[in-house]
Amino acid sequence: MEKKPLINPKTTSAIKDFVCVLPSLILIAIFTYYPICKLVQISFTDWNLLNDTWNYVGMKNWVWLFNGSGTKYLLNSLKVTILYSIGELTITLVGGLIFALIFNRMNGAFSIMRAIVFMPKYVAMSSAAVVFLWILNTDTGILNYLLGFFGVAPVAWLQNRHTALFAVLMVTGWRAIGYGMMIYLSAMIGISKDYYEAASLDGATAWQRFWKITIPMLSPTTLFLFVTTFLSSMKVFQSIDILTSGGPYRSTEVFVYKIYQYAMEDFRMDRASVIAIAFFVLLLVFTALTFKVSNNSVHYDS
Amino acid sequence: MSEAKTTTRLEREMAAKRKRKIIAAVQYTLAILVTLIVLFPLYWMISSSVKSQEEILLAVPTLWPHEIHLENYLSVFKRVNFGKYYYNTIVMTAGILISQIVTGVFAAYGFSKGKFKGQGVCFLFVLGALMIPIQVTFIPIYIMCANWGLNDTFLGLILPECISPYYIFMLRQTFMAIDDSYIDAAKVDGLGRIGVITKILTPMCKSTLFTTTLVTFTNGWNSYFWPKIIAKNEQRRVLTVGLAQLKNTFAGQATMNNHEIMAGAVMAILPVVVMFFMFQKYMLTGYSKAAMK
Amino acid sequence: MKKTLAILLTMAMAAGLLAGCSGGGSTGGGAVQQTTQAAAADSAGSSETEAAETEAPAEVDASMYEVTEPITIQWWHSIEDQHSWIVEEVVNDFNNSQDLITVEPVYVGSYAQVNEALVAAHAAGTGLPAVTVANTPYVAEYGAGGLTEDLGPYAAATGYDLDDFSAGMLLASQYEGKQVALPFLISTQVIYYNKDIADAEGIEVPEDWSGMDAFLEKAAANGRTGLSIPGWDQWYFETFYLNRGLNIINDDQVTTDLGSDAGLELAHQFKDWYDKGWIYWTDNGSDASSNMRQSFIDGKAFAVSHTSSLYTTYVDSCDFEVGMAWLPGYNGSKDQEIGGCVLLIPSKNDQATKNAAWQFLCYLCGKETNMKWASATGYMPTRNSVLTTDEGKAFLEEKPAFQCIFDNLNLIYPRIQHPGWNQLATIWKNYMIEIMYEDVDIDSKIADMAEEIDEVLEDAVG
Repeated sequence: MEKKPLINPKTTSAIKDFVCVLPSLILIAIFTYYPICKLVQISFTDWNLLNDTWNYVGMKNWVWLFNGSGTKYLLNSLKVTILYSIGELTITLVGGLIFALIFNRMNGAFSIMRAIVFMPKYVAMSSAAVVFLWILNTDTGILNYLLGFFGVAPVAWLQNRHTALFAVLMVTGWRAIGYGMMIYLSAMIGISKDYYEAASLDGATAWQRFWKITIPMLSPTTLFLFVTTFLSSMKVFQSIDILTSGGPYRSTEVFVYKIYQYAMEDFRMDRASVIAIAFFVLLLVFTALTFKVSNNSVHYDS
Repeated sequence: MSEAKTTTRLEREMAAKRKRKIIAAVQYTLAILVTLIVLFPLYWMISSSVKSQEEILLAVPTLWPHEIHLENYLSVFKRVNFGKYYYNTIVMTAGILISQIVTGVFAAYGFSKGKFKGQGVCFLFVLGALMIPIQVTFIPIYIMCANWGLNDTFLGLILPECISPYYIFMLRQTFMAIDDSYIDAAKVDGLGRIGVITKILTPMCKSTLFTTTLVTFTNGWNSYFWPKIIAKNEQRRVLTVGLAQLKNTFAGQATMNNHEIMAGAVMAILPVVVMFFMFQKYMLTGYSKAAMK
Repeated sequence: MKKTLAILLTMAMAAGLLAGCSGGGSTGGGAVQQTTQAAAADSAGSSETEAAETEAPAEVDASMYEVTEPITIQWWHSIEDQHSWIVEEVVNDFNNSQDLITVEPVYVGSYAQVNEALVAAHAAGTGLPAVTVANTPYVAEYGAGGLTEDLGPYAAATGYDLDDFSAGMLLASQYEGKQVALPFLISTQVIYYNKDIADAEGIEVPEDWSGMDAFLEKAAANGRTGLSIPGWDQWYFETFYLNRGLNIINDDQVTTDLGSDAGLELAHQFKDWYDKGWIYWTDNGSDASSNMRQSFIDGKAFAVSHTSSLYTTYVDSCDFEVGMAWLPGYNGSKDQEIGGCVLLIPSKNDQATKNAAWQFLCYLCGKETNMKWASATGYMPTRNSVLTTDEGKAFLEEKPAFQCIFDNLNLIYPRIQHPGWNQLATIWKNYMIEIMYEDVDIDSKIADMAEEIDEVLEDAVG
């Protein structure tokens, strides 16, 4: 008589497959989902890293954030973060596309130039930031020195609240624009030549071809770039931390920087947590909106 | 009649040719100009890093260093613990890479070739994590790591980054494209799951694995946010944080030390830039693959 | 067999996962609390026994505080690169002076960065330095949080003479009567001015607030600013408020008087001077300090309010004579505050480390080491045996500008000590910069500021 297996081999196989994904699930649970729950809990306490104990304080921190002295910081961070995002999106999408058109020539010289324009993406932000910190210095920076030849008076790029965010975007743009270009170029190469030939035969000008063929055909790429750039730009921290520390007086105080300040400089885990949750919800809403809008307007070449 | 027609056609062709030439000229000029502008900060970083302190302070900046002072690089090593920062960055990046590859490959296998109840839900669980960045969750993670005594340790640097939903997702897509018959054949040959993963799937997806790994490596090497939070002590400080710290170290001085800061900046990016030129093609596909999906 | 094992393993792991999930909401926090409470209880326990020992000094067991085995300890400091040679010298001297203790100096960053790192390490209970510097206003925060070791028993056990420290400085290192730190690199606010211009144009830094208008008007001539005030640290302008008799923190510990009429008047006064170009209010960016210094060196500012510790740096980099003046008082009140840093031993270290730390701390605060700093930098002598003796006279001969500090030594007071001080300071200086740089309604801004400060004070105490 053949011995009946204790458990169906199919089940065993399923369990083994599950074991493959289990470590990942556990780690994600510990380092992603659990912290979110914990964050909500901390937001109802008076947790201060300096003190050994904490208590529940009800809605106090939430009231502070939405109907108290914290509200203006929330709104300020919202404004700064969105301005920054718009800046980075413009540079990556519009700048990247323009660069793609300029560098759209397939020969050796151009491929070297493309590599150079793309490379800053790989330069660590902290290296880029310390270089720009000097280039943008009011008195000793080379940018003001060069502008001096055109009769421009020295600009306090990082010390003026009206130019600081722009100056930060310069650094961001320097790293991002080549990346946008490469993504667009590789998508452009994928567009079939037939479309252009047909349009030419119909007497379409280069300008018309660009608007009627290239732009629509690139819309999935644009969407991809939009979503990824948008999400990463909302999370900006490093450039702000090194270049401006959120200043001058809050003009570059983006969300993550504000959260960081409350948590790691003031040790106010309670206040940091409510802002972090607000920030997270905002991220979710924006992402959902992006997908909703894009579903209607993106052209997929099947 | 016909003669006139050929003239106009010839003229039209000439005009078109001229137009193409003009476009090419414009394109070349613009491209060269843009390239030079983009290159400038890097050039400035490198050229300044070998200038003397006197030259740095000149009112009229010099484009080309008068003399080459390579000792600036040694000086950075002497003044701050740059060697230690290098070591820390290398160990951290290696740790992140290895753990992400191991967890990623297995999870991708489970999600693409495996079959179990709740597979879809589990996969959503992974994808959902893409939406929760560490910039949101760092407070509880920090408290957790602090309670486990992971401040200023390699484990603390690596653990929260040891898994990447993005990595799992990319590999899963690649594994899906591989025909099941390969795996069935291998199973008939008596290969277990680990065998299938290491002997069949991994070799077949070498290029995706490689490009995704390159992206992971760069991200790890250049990471700043979490290392800054968890490793405040110099013993476990990484390059990016140490470099940003350099300007504070020199802040008290009456004179600028930008030549040394630039030397530090060059050293911090060297490995990644070298790698970029070695694997330029892969570097791009790493990103554009994600774009094309 | 193999299969059963696999199942068991899976079940074990699944159980682990579940435990991990359910542990999330409730017990996670509890665990944290328990451990920290346990640690607190520990330290409380040990300080109790120590307190008992202090009460009966005759029974102090000196052997408890002896270093018996070789040990390597870390010292965190904020001493920037230009003075690192002194750090090296001092540490090497100490390491060579005995066989057991090896000190590793670690430059952590600015005072703010030391604060961040120290509190983080304290919360974790690991990675603490044996000895660390701390900016003077943090003493209360640390004392209240149980971060610092009471040094009294150590001094008693080793017969260390605390009375030679200047009384005010010693007081600034105490929390609720306990000596939780010792004065190390001590400075105060001063005004540096361009003596060449002062002599040529007959300008004198006024002793009283009432003379400020006339002084600034004169000083701000010829394309210069009269006085630069650092906006990055409220320490540089808080004395103006204190000398008015204004309570930055009221006796109730949870409210501020910065929003009072006197506070408003001062804010309007500063703004008025700023708009006239008589004073410059610096930003709080990372380069602010070096930019301000540079403007003074270049003669673009007649005077700057800065820390006395930078005396040597200013003298060395200016090609004119640098004068040093006490800050203008108000109606005869000319108090000032202590600045710089104290040294302390984090309480969560083990006893062996603490004992070694104490040895090193004594050495760092010792008279000879202190004089090394004083003569090479602008930090002040901390010892009565220097300040009031011939040695003090010799020091003054070397640095005559310090006369104004020596004259007013008894007017240098400890910092305001409050667990919410750091947050208060951040809010205050940010508002002040905004008021200076922007055209805003000062009254309503100050009202907002006072409200925010009241909130953080209450949170910190309650």
